[in-house]
Amino acid sequence: MDWQPLWLTFRLATITSLILLAFALPLAYWLAFGKFRGRGIVEAVIGMPLVLPPSVIGFYLLLAFSPSYWFGDFIERIFGLRLVFSFPGLVIASVLYSLPFMVYPIRAGLQSLPASLREASYTLGKSERETFFRILLPNCKPAILTAFVLTFAHTVGEFGVVLMIGGNIPGVTKVASVAIYNEVEALNYSAANQYALVLFAITFVILLIVYSINNNLLRVRQSS
Amino acid sequence: MSDNLLDINIRHSLHTANGTLPMEIAFTLKEGNILAVTGPSGAGKTTLLKQIAGLIGPESGKIMFGGQIWLDTNAKKSFPPQLRNTGFVFQDYALFPHFTVEENLSFALHNQDDKGIVSELLEATELTQLSHRKPFQLSGGQQQRVALARALVRKPHLLLLDEPFAALDYSMRFNLQALLLKFQQQFRFSIIIVTHDIGEIFRLADQVIVLDNGKIEKEGTPAEVFVKENTAPQDLIIHGEVLTCTQQDNQLHVNALIENKIKTLILPLHMEAEMIPGNNFTLHYPIDSGQIRLINS
Amino acid sequence: MNFQRISLLFLSLLAGCSSPSEKIVVATAANVQYVMKEIQKEFEKESGKQLQLVTGSSGKLTTQIREGAPFDVFVSADTKYPLEVFKNGGTDAAPKVYALGTLVLWSKNISEKDLNTALLGTEKIRKIAIPNPRTAPYGEAAVQVLKSENLFASVEKKLVYGESIAQTAQYITSGSAEAGFNALSIVLSPEMKGQGHYIIIDSAAYKPIQQSAILLRHSKDSPKKESSKQFYDFLFSGKAQEIFKKYGYK
Repeated sequence: MDWQPLWLTFRLATITSLILLAFALPLAYWLAFGKFRGRGIVEAVIGMPLVLPPSVIGFYLLLAFSPSYWFGDFIERIFGLRLVFSFPGLVIASVLYSLPFMVYPIRAGLQSLPASLREASYTLGKSERETFFRILLPNCKPAILTAFVLTFAHTVGEFGVVLMIGGNIPGVTKVASVAIYNEVEALNYSAANQYALVLFAITFVILLIVYSINNNLLRVRQSS
Repeated sequence: MSDNLLDINIRHSLHTANGTLPMEIAFTLKEGNILAVTGPSGAGKTTLLKQIAGLIGPESGKIMFGGQIWLDTNAKKSFPPQLRNTGFVFQDYALFPHFTVEENLSFALHNQDDKGIVSELLEATELTQLSHRKPFQLSGGQQQRVALARALVRKPHLLLLDEPFAALDYSMRFNLQALLLKFQQQFRFSIIIVTHDIGEIFRLADQVIVLDNGKIEKEGTPAEVFVKENTAPQDLIIHGEVLTCTQQDNQLHVNALIENKIKTLILPLHMEAEMIPGNNFTLHYPIDSGQIRLINS
Repeated sequence: MNFQRISLLFLSLLAGCSSPSEKIVVATAANVQYVMKEIQKEFEKESGKQLQLVTGSSGKLTTQIREGAPFDVFVSADTKYPLEVFKNGGTDAAPKVYALGTLVLWSKNISEKDLNTALLGTEKIRKIAIPNPRTAPYGEAAVQVLKSENLFASVEKKLVYGESIAQTAQYITSGSAEAGFNALSIVLSPEMKGQGHYIIIDSAAYKPIQQSAILLRHSKDSPKKESSKQFYDFLFSGKAQEIFKKYGYK
């Protein structure tokens, strides 16, 4: 069995999740506590990947990344990078595709904290940023973990978008989900089965570990 | 330079379940004094406290503290809460769940040299043994003491307390009130405390304001506000709740809950209509000075 | 809601499912779909019978047939997949070739006079799109062409694989790949007409792309047995063959 697609899948999922974590934290904070008009629009935009079929997202990304149009052309001229048919292109696509999975749970976690925690920190002289990192985030660990896992799992399962803009290049964009699809198309069911089982087993173990950690965190907090 | 420490004059729209109330409050607090704020729920007491701390901005007005302008909406000037150095004790204590008692207090420190204040406060509140526990491992009274200690770490000039002792039992409340007074004498800060407990008001406050519907209904010393005029000096005003009421020998025997204790009162029959179990009452209770004797002091 | 009402509702739903449509269901490989639409029009005019085209990749359709999908005729892009169905007993007769496919080299921006296979090895071309050779005959043919010109080793890194001929076409027409291989029938289809530039690859350079069709097995008393056979035979009639030629098939 060729392990490359599996390795590619987990690399994509990990990198995407880490990047999204960095982006989603300020975004979630802004959505949770910011006072600005048009918040509804931002929320709707963030939620779009939830409702749009992946093939639609992939279709528009293909156009956006193509060097025939200004954005793709710009990236190719400045960075020498063609986003379509490349791993970085997949990362960008995954980041967009999994954005709501990271933002929503963290926002919910932040909003569930009592307002008095923030207020207390302010009266003790701490800035918004310090309050966010030292008080709010540490108390949102389950939410952040959930967000990370959802994003990771969602990216592992990503198929439609990768199919659209990946180009199925072995070792570069041929992720596990596409590899399985290929094997089925080629009527090679035993190979498809192998990939699928391994994928299932690995992701199951990951989720199991993560949720055990999560339950430990919750148990410690609730015992008295 | 007046000897008024806090000068406040604000207008705001209070959003309540019954609609929007116009809030208009102006008062001054003398340095080193304790002000009690009381009144029915929803009158704007917590909002007022948060506005003084800078957590909420009133729609218009001016707040001056110790000569500093904390808020002046006309001049578009406003100090954020971080700069106002008020200590705030929240109704739900707002202890940081992921920190130990000691960490909760040290969090308030700005530079490392002040560390001594943390152990000093822990000792004064008798929390030294518990300093490595997390809030969920503490009782209500212990949590309350942590909240109080934490608010004092920065040695604020103004301490704000929002019904701090409401969830505690009577004797714990008494102890904490004494502790508060002790701290005040030691650190010399002014206090604004929101409370419903009249005993607490009399025990602690130099000034009282009664808020209702966003406006000051009454203000003055506790005596001025609560004591009725047509009371002879040795008469009592008793507030209580009727528990039982029975007729015996042409009189009413009423068991009532007065200041958390059950007392039996003998009252004239014509009060029967008001003495229904569950009713609250206020009674003018004249004392026969000839019968007064001290039991112990 | 009592039990009687529920079961009545349930039964009525099932009843709605039971009567099969009279339309002849034709499973069509994606790259033939444009041709088939015209053939469908012609057949319906002539015979008065209705067709229903189901499009998909040959691999998917084959799997579906294996699992009992209600298709009547399978028109594939190659011979490999119909042979699979034949081997599994899904059809009585062996697959018959209805047309030979033509391979083209296609590009969005490069003109015909500049376009040739040698260009693929140069720096001008960064990405070459071909259909997945494992599953598409045109992909296989493309690889054969590249190997025959000794270009395969040098351009292999530039290859990107479309999961279907249609997707490969999309890579080419969007300009994501500077050039690519595809089917002449696609380039000539009304949807793609005029998009980009193409040259026809010399058929000697690759093994003939034999596109076959099969008549799927019907039970003796199936109402569509007759009409399906009628359509199947039509594929090999003069009229149909003319339409195929129009779309670049041989």
